[in-house]
Amino acid sequence: MDVTFIILSLITVVGAIWAVTLRNLIHGVLSLVLFFFGVAGFFFYLNADFVGWVQILVYVGAVAILAIFAIMLTHNLTAKDEPGFFSLRWLTGMAIAAAVGAVLWFAIKNNAAMLQTAPAGVTSSVADIGRKMMTDWVVPFEVVSLLLTAAMIGAIVIAMEQISHRK
Amino acid sequence: MYNFFDQLILTLGAWVVGLVVACGNGVSKFCCGQPLSEAAAHNVAAGTEIVLICVTIYGVFALCFGLATWLERKMLARIQNRYGPNRVGPFGLFQFVADGVKMLTKEDIVPARADKLVHFLAPAVVLAPALLMFAFLPFGRNMAPTNLDTAVIAFFAVGAGSEMALFMAGWGSRNKYSILGAMRAVAQMISYEIPLVLAAVPVVMVVGSLSTSQIVAAQGADGFLDMSRWFVWTPWGFAGFILFLVAATAESNRCPFDLPEGESELVAGFHVEYSGFKFALFFMAEYIGMMAMAGLGVTLFLGGWHGPKLLPSWMWFMGKGFLIVCWLIWLRGTLPRLRVDQLMAFAWKAMLPFALFNIFTTAVWFHLPKATLLQSAVAWLVTAALVAAAYWVVSRFVCRRAGALRVYHYAS
Amino acid sequence: MLGNGMIQGLLVTARNLIRSYFDPECLTTIQYPEERRTLPENSRCFPFLVYDGTPDNLRCVACKICEQECPPQCIYIEVERDAKTGKPVRRPRVFDIDYSVCMQCQICAEVCPFDAIKMDQIYELSGTDRFGGMLMNKGALLKSNEYYHQMHPTEANEVDARLSQSKKKASPPAAKPAAAPITLQSAPPPRPTPSAPPSPSVPPTPPVPPKSDV
Repeated sequence: MDVTFIILSLITVVGAIWAVTLRNLIHGVLSLVLFFFGVAGFFFYLNADFVGWVQILVYVGAVAILAIFAIMLTHNLTAKDEPGFFSLRWLTGMAIAAAVGAVLWFAIKNNAAMLQTAPAGVTSSVADIGRKMMTDWVVPFEVVSLLLTAAMIGAIVIAMEQISHRK
Repeated sequence: MYNFFDQLILTLGAWVVGLVVACGNGVSKFCCGQPLSEAAAHNVAAGTEIVLICVTIYGVFALCFGLATWLERKMLARIQNRYGPNRVGPFGLFQFVADGVKMLTKEDIVPARADKLVHFLAPAVVLAPALLMFAFLPFGRNMAPTNLDTAVIAFFAVGAGSEMALFMAGWGSRNKYSILGAMRAVAQMISYEIPLVLAAVPVVMVVGSLSTSQIVAAQGADGFLDMSRWFVWTPWGFAGFILFLVAATAESNRCPFDLPEGESELVAGFHVEYSGFKFALFFMAEYIGMMAMAGLGVTLFLGGWHGPKLLPSWMWFMGKGFLIVCWLIWLRGTLPRLRVDQLMAFAWKAMLPFALFNIFTTAVWFHLPKATLLQSAVAWLVTAALVAAAYWVVSRFVCRRAGALRVYHYAS
Repeated sequence: MLGNGMIQGLLVTARNLIRSYFDPECLTTIQYPEERRTLPENSRCFPFLVYDGTPDNLRCVACKICEQECPPQCIYIEVERDAKTGKPVRRPRVFDIDYSVCMQCQICAEVCPFDAIKMDQIYELSGTDRFGGMLMNKGALLKSNEYYHQMHPTEANEVDARLSQSKKKASPPAAKPAAAPITLQSAPPPRPTPSAPPSPSVPPTPPVPPKSDV
């Protein structure tokens, strides 16, 4: 438990908590960005440079902006209805959170290998990542690219439908 | 002799670090009676080095920012048949000092309904990534501030960080026009980020590494005239360089892509509600981003700090960066502004396919044998033909609608 | 082909950039205040009073036509009275024009029957006092006929010809005896001392060579 880990966890957890509890949605998204930076910090801490930078590039540079566009284009900025304590919604949420937490706890506890610290000096270079992606993990790679193509085509189709509706 | 000037900055830096360590030794002898331990001395040296690098880069590039504003005003003025500023200092060189003083002494106006925290943080968040982008560029022989293995991706990731700041600026002002400008700015920047990264991919493919130092090293040739291995002389490199320049112009919100800060339409777009020093920070971030992009273009395509051994390597880097900045200013003085739909169409329909095809062309080049002169000439011609064909197809596609009738969606 | 127009445009601007260093007609900026634009002869700014020879010999007879005709009413005239008899003499004792009110319409010069008030060409008259700083008294307004010749040569020649003709017509019939020298109520007109603006009888500076420039 050294200082870097504590600071990074603080940033990440605080960002995540603010992201779900702040009234102003835009502030919530900005604290989500803080959370993304915290996760990227964790990647750097684990010597995964490439993944850390890609995390910033993709999550902060694209996903957060997408979330912001969604919020800005729908005009619903503050959570209007706040459920009170001990209401049904709150209890359901707590139950689900507890269940997920229990699953994670048991998974980590029974998987002793995960609790060991990683051997020092393990660095994966970008070349290694590329090689693995093209040999061992090529099927998931192609599936993900198919998924992205399908998403792009779907977006274009939706936009074209709108244009043809307007005509 | 040449080496002395080439490594002059490093020598000076090492001298300063030695001085600080000696001071530290003296202080610790005075306080504790014994000199600094090995580890402590190492830490002091490392800390001093970091501070020195930061101070040098900030100082040099802040000065370059001032000179870039001067150069822009003079060059635009000469293109437009007028003198630029010529009163403050010889040839108006101190105009940026006068501008800085003016911006510092202006009243800082915050709109009453603005989101205070977001409005306050936006200028800082836009400037920090712009300055951080300089950490990944090699300025001269042995003169890269950091030696990251993933420098190119880091550069683009940090550049993406400043997009959030544009949005924060537009939103924090609570002004319709600011938000509109911010949305357009963000949409433009993420659209053009893809061709930007894809234009850099062929270089990474050919070199085999994401490290900027290695990319520059791969463009070095032996001999006095260190210019023959630059990537811009190859067909795919030239195409990539053009793509990179266009995308970098769009990323820095410069004319002809400066719709977000459209001076004649949205007043100043997303930074309309900022006055005084905060506006100066936005201005500074734009120019520093422009210079950092120019620096990356020099690193990736123009051979970095390589050049004929008449001048030191860092002078070559700065000189080439200066040429790209001149090109950007020239472009600003020439072209009219693109409309937002033209801008988006250009990014997605013209630049993206061309960039993808450029990657394919680079792969073809990479695998063609280039052992003898004839074989390299054949490889060059084949690649050039592929690039020209792709350009022709893209241009037919983009210019196809010039003669078509415009369809009005709402007026029917 | 894509980019064709762009390249032509870039060549045009590059040519202009280089031409601006060699072709003096390219840059039309006038570097004020080292250079000034030469104004045409009929350009006008604010009015001034003309005297022939010495400031005592001013043409104005205080008929007050210009004061009545002035649209913004910026002229204030008081007639000189003889010290001993108290009868009005044909000179103005006070002749004030408020330059901050004057709208340079030239009506005063048009209606003056004695060609006594004419339009000047000096426009560099900034002052620091908004409320009284531009009030020009008689001393500041008096300028010589030679100055008038410098400002508007054609007009001045015409006026001089007309005045000398009317003098020739007037002098033979009316051989008036020399009148007693009159003493005036006011002191002799002071030397032109302007209140705030710069000295009124400065001719326009000739164009100096332009400031050295990149």
